[in-house]
Amino acid sequence: MQSHHNHPVLTDTHSFLTVKNIAVNYGEIAALQDVTLSIPANRVTVLIGPSGCGKSTTLRCLNGLVKIDGGSITYEDEGIQDLSETDLRRSMGYAIQSVGLMPHLSVEENVDLVPRLLGWPKASRTERVEKLLKLVRLEPEIYSKKYPHELSGGEAQRIGFARALGADPPMLLMDEPFGAVDPLNREQLQDEFIRIQRQLKKTVVFVTHDLDEAIRLADYLVIMKDGKIVQADAPERILASPRGEFVERFLGPDRALQRLTLFTADRLMEKVLSGVEEKPALAPDESSNRTYWQVDAEGKPIAGYAWVGDKAIRRLIVNGTHTVQQYSSLKECVSKILNLGLPSAAVVCEEGRLCGEVRFETIQQISQG
Amino acid sequence: MYRSISSDTCFLEKLGPNGVIVDRADFRLNFQQKLASVVLLLFFASFFFPFYLARENRISEDIQSGLLSLSPLCILFLMLPPLLIALHAFARKGWMKEVTITLSGVLGLFFPMMVLAIVGSDVSDAFGSLARYSPASGMYLYLTAVIIIFLMKPKFRLYDLSGMILVALAVMFVASKGSYDRLGIVLEGRNFGSRVTREVLAHIRLTFISLGISIVIGIPLALASFQGKRAKKIVFPFLNLLQTIPSIALFGLLITPLSLLSRTFPFLREMGIKGIGNAPAIIALSTYALYPIIRYSFTAFSSIEESVIQAAKGMGMNPFQIWRMVRFPLAAPGVLHGIRVALIQTIGNATLAKLIGGDGLGVLVFEGLGQASVDMVLLGMLLIIALTIASDRIFQIFIYLVTPPALRGKAVGNG
Repeated sequence: MQSHHNHPVLTDTHSFLTVKNIAVNYGEIAALQDVTLSIPANRVTVLIGPSGCGKSTTLRCLNGLVKIDGGSITYEDEGIQDLSETDLRRSMGYAIQSVGLMPHLSVEENVDLVPRLLGWPKASRTERVEKLLKLVRLEPEIYSKKYPHELSGGEAQRIGFARALGADPPMLLMDEPFGAVDPLNREQLQDEFIRIQRQLKKTVVFVTHDLDEAIRLADYLVIMKDGKIVQADAPERILASPRGEFVERFLGPDRALQRLTLFTADRLMEKVLSGVEEKPALAPDESSNRTYWQVDAEGKPIAGYAWVGDKAIRRLIVNGTHTVQQYSSLKECVSKILNLGLPSAAVVCEEGRLCGEVRFETIQQISQG
Repeated sequence: MYRSISSDTCFLEKLGPNGVIVDRADFRLNFQQKLASVVLLLFFASFFFPFYLARENRISEDIQSGLLSLSPLCILFLMLPPLLIALHAFARKGWMKEVTITLSGVLGLFFPMMVLAIVGSDVSDAFGSLARYSPASGMYLYLTAVIIIFLMKPKFRLYDLSGMILVALAVMFVASKGSYDRLGIVLEGRNFGSRVTREVLAHIRLTFISLGISIVIGIPLALASFQGKRAKKIVFPFLNLLQTIPSIALFGLLITPLSLLSRTFPFLREMGIKGIGNAPAIIALSTYALYPIIRYSFTAFSSIEESVIQAAKGMGMNPFQIWRMVRFPLAAPGVLHGIRVALIQTIGNATLAKLIGGDGLGVLVFEGLGQASVDMVLLGMLLIIALTIASDRIFQIFIYLVTPPALRGKAVGNG
């Protein structure tokens, strides 16, 4: 099989590290062959493929947990080039599927591990832990003294993520970090991840076997098979022009629907018609395609109204189940729209306040683009 | 009228005029009631066995006395705990059950001790100043019943403890008046005098030296077996083999090589290493203690989840830090439990040291056997039991303090 050495790279950023022709053998079996890849700085690179394709192995090569049998890994950042193996690992956050929280250490001590290994002063470490717990939206007062066995799966993953960010490393390696969580919690964790990543702009290498997750999170998507890279590019370009039969099959028949996961709700959010009155006296002009949201005193949506001709339909809204968040995917928006039978989905911001809507019409336009 | 539905049920049902069941009498005993009946049976049996033995002097023949030869008041008091437990079995209210069972247990300890005190003066009145007496099978049965009563309690409460402390205080008070002076164990203890303390200390010393040696050897061996397949292949078959040698045989087997050694190298003899004495005892005891220590430690090290180690590595811990910050703290409870098992086993086995000329409480037991003095054997046994329980308790507290708070109360896998 011909290998593709010149994968397209993202043009809006530089390369953080370059992997050249690396190979890894487990005894007789070649786990990786001739893998060449450039990881874009400050972006999320997602490695995906069927199990056994070498995606986790590739990730572990990056922090030296797996020794390479050939090829080279070059770090563009000069500070990292000369580091010893343990120091290299300390400068890369590492989060794994089974979380790997130290069962005998409290949440606080777990998050504090890498700063402690690096010998940071105590005062700045305490401050750092508090900041990180707040970042993953776990109240420090409640959680810092808890032990891993007292946490739910989702909470443990958040702590695992906070720990990876512990020493503010420039690069994060995440090996199926949300793999062990139920689908509902996983989506929330993805939302959180997107929110945090937009804030921190780390260089992230993320391994997953979940295509939705990959398309949602990736700035740069790498599809692997049998220890080789099949295609690597921005996800929208891969969706638009999959290379070869394998990629096409891997992406599945409904690529149009997959495209929707590329965009988050905040990109298409529009201003809403809303008020505390139960029902507006008159249907709005654009009535056929708009929703009127009834909100309570705090601005949380209670019900949605839509008009079919002169007839008004009313749907009660349960915050959370019938609403989407800023970083939810368009796929989720469509699901809510179809669920309620309203022409748009309500987007809620902090504390569940209504802050916009995503209209079906707009989604239609996007999905054709 | 009640009628039985079928021969194999324990219900009797009362039928109304139109054949509807209006009442049901249940004759099944629940678990608590079954235990209570066992206890009652034991109490009942104890009344037909000799309650205490009296002797005119140390070597004269036993004179058995049953419970029924006691004064009527004593018998009445001794009947009280069985009565209370019977009441407990049929009590319906929670507090009634609690009161009857606690009272039954505490009085079940108190009355036999008082009876022993009263019997003391009777015995010296009847047989003269050299007379001695000891509890006999009837009393042991009685006390067994009392122990089961305490085990029947779902939870050992503060008032149970206070009851026991009160009994202990009463016994100490009576003892200070000299009421137990003619008791066999007390006399034997007096005869031995300071030797008892000496042997207890020797027993402790023997145990700790042996345990120390097997910890120093065992934990590195466990680590080696954990690290390398080859070491494991050598260590475990060897351990299993050692465990199959009967302890007395091992004590005996060591005599020949050690005496040979001490004859060849005089400096060993000066250090006290001889074919008989404490040296072979220590070697044998530490060999036996190796098994639990290595087994438990090995299991403790290998049951640490791989993902934790992977995460530790991925975060940039060097191998030394992984051992210090992850493996050792996580394995500590398991390793310590192995040491605890070894400790208890060694205290018991150390009794055998006497057989090859060693010290320890075995001296009391085996000399007692030699002199056909049951009281002396009993004194030795009681001291060994007390030593075992006390060291186990202390060690448990130690384990609790050393275990990281998150791991406390978790079950530790058996080796």
